[in-house]
Amino acid sequence: MNYLLPERLDRLAREYALGTLAGPARRRFERLLRQAPAAVRAVGAWQERLGGLAGTVPPMQPRESVWRALEQRLFTSSRRAAPEGPLQWLWGVLSVRALGGVLAGVFLCAVLLRLQPGLIGMEPQSEVLPQSYVGLLIDAAGTPTVLASSKRHGRLMTVKLLQPVNIPAGSVAQLWALPRDGSAFPVGVVPGTGTAAVALADTSEKLFFNVSRLAVSIEAAPAKAGDKPSGDFVLSGHCVKLW
Amino acid sequence: MVLMSHREPPLVKKDLAALLSRVALGDRAAFEGVYRATCAHLLGVAFRILNSRERAEEVLQEAFMNVWHGAGGFDASVAGPMTWLINIVRNKAIDALRSGRTERASTSALDEEAMAVAADETQQPQALLERSLEALRITGCMGELGAPQRQALALAYYRGMVHTEIAEALGAPLGTVKAWVRRGLDRLKACLEAAGIA
Repeated sequence: MNYLLPERLDRLAREYALGTLAGPARRRFERLLRQAPAAVRAVGAWQERLGGLAGTVPPMQPRESVWRALEQRLFTSSRRAAPEGPLQWLWGVLSVRALGGVLAGVFLCAVLLRLQPGLIGMEPQSEVLPQSYVGLLIDAAGTPTVLASSKRHGRLMTVKLLQPVNIPAGSVAQLWALPRDGSAFPVGVVPGTGTAAVALADTSEKLFFNVSRLAVSIEAAPAKAGDKPSGDFVLSGHCVKLW
Repeated sequence: MVLMSHREPPLVKKDLAALLSRVALGDRAAFEGVYRATCAHLLGVAFRILNSRERAEEVLQEAFMNVWHGAGGFDASVAGPMTWLINIVRNKAIDALRSGRTERASTSALDEEAMAVAADETQQPQALLERSLEALRITGCMGELGAPQRQALALAYYRGMVHTEIAEALGAPLGTVKAWVRRGLDRLKACLEAAGIA
């Protein structure tokens, strides 16, 4: 069935936006939304129309615990992995705020040294790029779309969008690593545009040593360790060692 | 609060869009700004659908997880920032409602909660719809629809009901309800266009 005939698309888009499209038909339409910008636009127009009906819903203040839980889930996962034992007190002292200050200091130093390497008598030693893992992901049409790179022994992956990726509202673009032997594991969530730093679960060397490809799928929520991609990859490409 | 209205003044809409673009770059302060400005309105929307503060707050939290990770997907040319946020929350609430129903079907402990929803099911959504139509200044235009047609639209939008549930709530045949909803949406579109809103 061709869902993209304008009349049929509009009928599905409005039932989806209203919520009366249910069950497998709703899931099928969500899959279509990941692939067809025309469907995204049709739904967007109906959401905008229906949005006018939400203005009179009485507001309800969430409990503060909702925000705290959200902050904890999003921003303090590294603290949960803090070592137990004699050094545990140190993690208590190093609050997120303190850590932010330390990182800002490190960043400022790095910028100063980059601008004025002579300050400490340090000149650039080499023009060779650092040892890194690099992936270039292309879309179905072969257009380079995501550049992912991380230093060999680093725990941060920089993801740069070379062209915007269409991520339907309520979904996320999930990056996966595909090892040569073994099944895909989640790396992190990539934005639809711009650049982002993705915190890695381990060093690149440990995670990507056996990884030959990277890929992105659209998921309803960020994948957790052990999750598998729910559908087709919208982007994929080789993952190579830069040394 | 100004942001609680869907038809935000352009400046506020622009501010919210600007905050979302900063969230896409990983700006936590901007993320908190978006949350503080919109959470009460969004929780209200989720609560109407789920009729449980706990479940609505869970949905709000899940929705904002997606906002943090997916703010890059916000495209101002497709929908306004508040529409985008409402849509994430409504979709999550609708999914939670429908998955909850399957669980509830096998238990009887929650029947009282279900009864409470039923009692209030048809009245409140209709009152909300009427007030919205007044705020949008399309009451007269929408008045061409019969009361049951407006009621069907209200139950679908505010309660997240599907056709069969609306048919049951209003005691009407399924085919009739489908036609009511369809005509309700057609009329809404026509009235908004005539009022120069959409």
